Amino acid sequence: MIRTTVALFAFALVLCGLIIFRPFADGEVDTADRLGAPVDIEVTRAFAPDIDALVRATEATTPTATPAVAPTAIVQAPRRVDVARPDTDDTRLSDMTNNVLAELGFAGVEPVTTNSQLQRQSTSDILAGIEAATGQHSVLDERDSFEAIVIAALRAGETDESIDRIVNEAAANGVAVPEILVTSDGRVDTSVMLTNIVTQAQMAAGAAAPAIPEVSPDDVQGMEVRIVQRANDDVEARFYTVQSGDSLGAISIKFFGVITHYEEIFEANKGLLSSPDRIRVGQRLVIPQI
Amino acid sequence: MNIASAKSVSRLAVSLTAVAIGSAVSAQDVRITTFKSDATFTLNGRTFTVSRDQNIDNTLTGEFARTSRACPPNCLQPMISADGVATLGELEVLEFMEGEVTNGRGLLLDTRGADAFSNGSILGAVNVPHVTLGPDNRYRTDILLALGAVQTSTGALDFQDAMALTMFSGGVWSSDARTAVNNLIEAGYPPEKLFYYRGGLQAWMHVGLTTQNSATSN
Repeated sequence: MIRTTVALFAFALVLCGLIIFRPFADGEVDTADRLGAPVDIEVTRAFAPDIDALVRATEATTPTATPAVAPTAIVQAPRRVDVARPDTDDTRLSDMTNNVLAELGFAGVEPVTTNSQLQRQSTSDILAGIEAATGQHSVLDERDSFEAIVIAALRAGETDESIDRIVNEAAANGVAVPEILVTSDGRVDTSVMLTNIVTQAQMAAGAAAPAIPEVSPDDVQGMEVRIVQRANDDVEARFYTVQSGDSLGAISIKFFGVITHYEEIFEANKGLLSSPDRIRVGQRLVIPQI
Repeated sequence: MNIASAKSVSRLAVSLTAVAIGSAVSAQDVRITTFKSDATFTLNGRTFTVSRDQNIDNTLTGEFARTSRACPPNCLQPMISADGVATLGELEVLEFMEGEVTNGRGLLLDTRGADAFSNGSILGAVNVPHVTLGPDNRYRTDILLALGAVQTSTGALDFQDAMALTMFSGGVWSSDARTAVNNLIEAGYPPEKLFYYRGGLQAWMHVGLTTQNSATSN
């Protein structure tokens, strides 16, 4: 009985071995299989340049909006050079500007609570709790906020150049700045910040919001316009290649006159931008229609 | 056999006496362990006493009686929160309160949000929400300094004299405490100074241990 079982077992083993190793099959394929090497790796290599060529062909011949975004990402990936960027926080530039104006005494501008202030408040609550438990008094470090630095610079009547130097030094020392002020070179976009202060001040004084500027590829470097054919009509798709020194705020002002539309630009390019401060030279952004 | 029966007789006698006296306060039918009816600790000069609810018919109601919170986000947590961080049960937490906390060398941290904390927490716990220990909070260093870290001349933090911390959150279904533990380690806190009370407030309440609410109502 046992002998029969062992014999059957041995036969089953041999059969399994035959199935797995296939000694009578073609020798070349056999070795590749046994090593577990994927046979189609050569095919993939052969295909790789083809994808690039395909991308270029698509870009050159068929001007469709949808595939145009994805290939850009593929083409640009190897060029990814990450510059050192200032710290950012989720304080909105419009809130910060609002508080700057309120602090400078603009009529009709009420300060709002920024996320940064909320964070500070919750931290001081926590410190109070710890203090109650330990009896050790701890003071919340009075670090200058970006807002306070800008207010001080404006009060002192600094020139635009020196404000640019002051805010960039502050950012280099770890003061967090609003995300949309970070440029593709990792600097703080002082000109967008100042322009927006003026715009919001004018709007607070009752002026209309700046009109959406007329832009064409002739006067905006890096801009492209393509006609996309849809089922019923042709749609104009606009693209913009990020230039050196651009921030998302600057791009929003360039195309829409105000910073607030950065959100739509960011949303339309989420595949490319991980966050609004991560823009890089050479990225091709879709400019949405508002 | 003899001892056991003597014990049961004496227990019967005790309970009979308790019944005889009526609502005997000193009866302590519900102790923490056989030899421990309560745990007393001091926190910044104030004395707290933790014991268990003496009402043997008491059951949990409300938020902490719930069994089925949606996962995600409220998923069951592993026993170990991070390498080198010990996991504690209720007795070890009490020991920690009587030892480290009373000596001013440790703190019990409730890592839930401020709202949850204000609705009730373990007696003597301090609220430090786990998000405030994350890298996104630019005031995190201030919290670490308050917990006893020292800033060296190079700007780095020295945790040599930092407090021992026991962290908990809502229950075994909450990742808050584990996130807090890992946030602290990422900030440089030594794992051997960190402890994880996995059961959290729900396990604490489930055995009728004193909370901030039950302490004030007593």
